[in-house]
Amino acid sequence: MLVGNQITKTSEGVPRIAVGILLGVLAFGVFIVGFDQGEMLGFTVPADGSGSEQGTNWAHEFYHDMRHAAGFPCH
Amino acid sequence: MKAITFIAITLLAGAIAGTILGIINQVAVEPYIEQAIELEMHNTAQSGQVINPAEFAAYRFWQKGGEIIAGTILGLSIGSLYGIVFAYTRGSISGTNNNKKKALLVAGIMWFVLFLMPALKYPPNPPAVGDPETIYYRQSLYVAFLAISGFSALGLAFLYRKMVMASSNNTKKKAIIIIPSAYAAIMAGAYLAMPANPDAINAPIDLVIGFRITSAITISMFWALLGVIFGAFWDKANFISNKIAARHN
Repeated sequence: MLVGNQITKTSEGVPRIAVGILLGVLAFGVFIVGFDQGEMLGFTVPADGSGSEQGTNWAHEFYHDMRHAAGFPCH
Repeated sequence: MKAITFIAITLLAGAIAGTILGIINQVAVEPYIEQAIELEMHNTAQSGQVINPAEFAAYRFWQKGGEIIAGTILGLSIGSLYGIVFAYTRGSISGTNNNKKKALLVAGIMWFVLFLMPALKYPPNPPAVGDPETIYYRQSLYVAFLAISGFSALGLAFLYRKMVMASSNNTKKKAIIIIPSAYAAIMAGAYLAMPANPDAINAPIDLVIGFRITSAITISMFWALLGVIFGAFWDKANFISNKIAARHN
């Protein structure tokens, strides 16, 4: 029973506010680097539609190589 | 440990490991990416599209440099999940009281569940492989497989804890065999049931294999670094907070 008590104490010691903040960072970061196709960072693509050309979607520039290197699906 | 300290060491460990990943990828993975993009450009030029060399060079400059920033962001986010998992599971890890060892073990399990398993079913591909038309379908497959692996591991971790808390030695021994076997069975089923990546590999196979192996090595290094750095920070933060508590007493 001693083991059980120790486990319960440790788990209760994790601050919920910290868990909430860290889950927010997780969702935001993984979506940006791994999955965003312009949904969240679409503002980096010029409104005149020239964003389909290379060098205009600035968010894409930053995450492109890491997306491939980290194993996420890319174009 | 205070919430602010926990958040700080988690984010810092993730940011450091992720930034190092981005820097190492500049020399380890980038040669493969460059080669694949040259191939992509060659195919684009052959299809009749005009490529401006100056614009292309600027585009690649931002993509390469951006990888370091993307590494930091990825490190912050994966590190956040890692910190939460470590905080909840470290009490259930038996056999050692050494937090550094526990941190490395948790990193190893998460690497296995969140990187290796999805990579075996849907291996990473360099640019030049991947049809833009299928991106949402491929993302759905990847996320589904990742979710099956992650949530199975999470559910089985709770079950393991329950079995260990039952505290009979026989149950503990059973848990060590039953839990990994159940995970293996679920993942084998998912591996067979899930559709394959629909895109054909048109790039040279040496390039694709070289990219996959090198990127797998650097990502594995990232997980190991995350465990080592976080474990060291956790011990240091505990040491400082214990010292402060001792002074107040």
